[in-house]
Amino acid sequence: MIQFDRFELDNGLKVLFHKDVSTPMAVVNILYDVGARDESEDQTGFAHLFEHLMFGGSINIPEFDSELQKAGGDNNAFTSNDITNYYETVPANNLDTALWLESDRMLSLAFTEKSLEVQRQVVIEEFKQRYLNQPYGDVWLLLRPLAYKIHPYKWATIGKEISHIENACMDDVRAFFQRFYNPSNAILCVAGNFDLEFIKERVSFWFGSIPSGKKPPRILPLEPKQLEFRELMVERNVPANAFYYAFKMSERKNEEYYIADILSDALGREKSGRLYVTLKKEKQLVSDITSYITGSLDEGLLIITGKLNDGVDFNQFDNEFWKCLEKVKSVEINENELNRLKIKIRTAREFQEQGLLNRAMNLCFYELLGDANGVNEEHLIYQAITPEALQFTANEILRKENCSLLKIKPIEDAG
Amino acid sequence: MLDRTQAPIITEVDEVKFIDPKVIQVTNNVSLFWISDVPNSTARLDFYFDAGTIRSVSLIASLTAGLLFSGTKEKDAITFHNLLDDLGAYYDVAVSHENSVVSFYGLNDQILRIFQIFEEAMEHVLFPQTELDEIIQERKQKLQVSLEKVGVLAQREFQKAIFDQTNYDRYANVKDFDHVERTQIIDFFEQFYKSGLLKIVVVGDISTSDINYITSQSKKWSIQQKPQFELSFQNKIGRVHVEKKDALQTALRVGKILFNKEHEDYIAFTILNTILGDYFGSRLMKNIREDKGFTYGIGSFLSEIRHAGYFIIATEVGKDFTEKTIEEIKKEIGRLQTELISDEELNLVRSYLLGQILKSADGPYATMDLYTAVEQHDMDLEFYNSYIHGIRTITPSELLEMARKYLNWDSFSVISVG
Repeated sequence: MIQFDRFELDNGLKVLFHKDVSTPMAVVNILYDVGARDESEDQTGFAHLFEHLMFGGSINIPEFDSELQKAGGDNNAFTSNDITNYYETVPANNLDTALWLESDRMLSLAFTEKSLEVQRQVVIEEFKQRYLNQPYGDVWLLLRPLAYKIHPYKWATIGKEISHIENACMDDVRAFFQRFYNPSNAILCVAGNFDLEFIKERVSFWFGSIPSGKKPPRILPLEPKQLEFRELMVERNVPANAFYYAFKMSERKNEEYYIADILSDALGREKSGRLYVTLKKEKQLVSDITSYITGSLDEGLLIITGKLNDGVDFNQFDNEFWKCLEKVKSVEINENELNRLKIKIRTAREFQEQGLLNRAMNLCFYELLGDANGVNEEHLIYQAITPEALQFTANEILRKENCSLLKIKPIEDAG
Repeated sequence: MLDRTQAPIITEVDEVKFIDPKVIQVTNNVSLFWISDVPNSTARLDFYFDAGTIRSVSLIASLTAGLLFSGTKEKDAITFHNLLDDLGAYYDVAVSHENSVVSFYGLNDQILRIFQIFEEAMEHVLFPQTELDEIIQERKQKLQVSLEKVGVLAQREFQKAIFDQTNYDRYANVKDFDHVERTQIIDFFEQFYKSGLLKIVVVGDISTSDINYITSQSKKWSIQQKPQFELSFQNKIGRVHVEKKDALQTALRVGKILFNKEHEDYIAFTILNTILGDYFGSRLMKNIREDKGFTYGIGSFLSEIRHAGYFIIATEVGKDFTEKTIEEIKKEIGRLQTELISDEELNLVRSYLLGQILKSADGPYATMDLYTAVEQHDMDLEFYNSYIHGIRTITPSELLEMARKYLNWDSFSVISVG
């Protein structure tokens, strides 16, 4: 159970406070309701590039990082297709430093040409390091546009192509800030050994005078229902045949989300999932196979991925793969197996909540979903899932016409 | 009135509380370390074995570690994994040069059952040939994938140069998989697991009777004599470049053999290393990422083994920036050897490091990690008080001295792959 209090400033900033008497540290986590899905198609990668620029100095503070380091703190941030999240961890006595820094960059950035130029270059190197210069690194650059035709999930957070990052200019940066970086589009969480009244006072002091701005409306194109099986095969400089089956599943707030999560564990957990047991242990077709869900806010994907053993071809595998899915769809998973999946989810969750930062991040994320207390109620949703519900959802999701398949195979030597 | 140009007053960290774990003797050579004050129902159980890669020819240590739950006469591998799943437990095995650590993560009231499953697997594992064939196929493919990464290739070349002429310098090649025999696995397991337990580490609010059971049942695996490790190393100096066709980035690894916590210069050097490359505002990050944009990240580290340690600078840079980056690294090291660090920068690093120590002692899991990091050098948590003292009192001229003593370019191994 994560205890928390909630209040809102006049300018619309939503604030959560989580008290933990045992820690000497404080966490400040701030979630901005903007991600790669809010970009326009000819300027992808922008939300993430912008996250880098948030460390380039703000209106009154030339250097973000060094001020925090002087206070004994550290920080980082991440961008997803849905959100951008920033956080600081500092010794509790220096909470003010973190609030000062976050409030100043919410107020306004410094916007220097040098910072933009350098961060463009850094992000291009990040693009190369993570997506282009790794075997199978470009999977998401290929799979997203295969699975999504209209919705902005069709591009990856890093961007569709390097040129979009190269072309980002200062006017675009300013406009992006104006639109998305204001109190009414943010959720703040402070965690540590403090009193609520103190936190109210300090947060109001630093954030209260920031102009409210407007919560930008979000009108995203709705992805049409997928009606046909899609397939793409590419050749890359890789040592083994790899497959990525991507099945459409519900958005985050739907109950089906939780069932799909358990379904992915039933199918693809390491060493004992259905697919592992059948396709690896029994049939010896794959060297590994796992399954997971993307966890996105809008319509998401259930992914089943792995690599073929040497000498096995895609068709041979594909045949057995669908047979295995048919079995899951036609025979109910028994209570024992389901309980096993539920208790594993509970352990994973307890370990995750061990960290102060994780608790603060989760509270912000659930508040974005509608209610921070969702973090405490989620386990009830998992507990209530029945074998029938699991089977029903398996039949909804694991259909061929609901699937996009990416296959990556080694380049064949000429001659 | 709110003046945003003025930084809030900063309070320096003045005290860090380090809480010792309980120590229970399993045998004369083997201890169990336990922190029971955990504010929730999580628990972790680690078994350290003298089963690192230096104890065998290539692959045997890592394959054995991967086959601990490969099955007994009564239960096959899947049955074992389902039993662990039933308890909501996760486990992993980490193999390094000098040991292997089998870790279980679970809920505190299940720890005894988790241990009993482990015990059953340990006592009766058969290492079936089919399981061995399977893991060989899996690991071979994984290695083939890894060998496509410039970072992995550079790290391998670096290890070879750093641990030159010792049994620490070996790494697996794809063809080695063709020569693995099941008997090698069985022999290795008998020697280094069944009689190779070094220590047990427990974090969790579990009952004393569970701890007593684990202690008494683990005796049979205890190591008879303290393990021996290589005492001295000399890295192979100079530049090695390995060509990787079509690579967009070059991986760089620069470093040398150095020392660990037991050395008198360790603390001073650690502070120097932080300034050079071990935090986001380090000289290398500021210059090579934040000023020039050559890389997504660059860092320097001091990595420790039982009787030595090594210093390493690691980065992946755009292909065209390789030589420029090496020049800039040289330049930054040169500055540390010739210019005194300013009070402003030193004070920043002091505050940063003290904050990091406070954070690294926050909570039972973090505290246990701090403890095991000193315990392996026969030291205790008092080390961190010396470290704090060192951070507070070190001078710019001492840091200059450290840089002159240990960062000479012509003592380095310099590896590039790209």
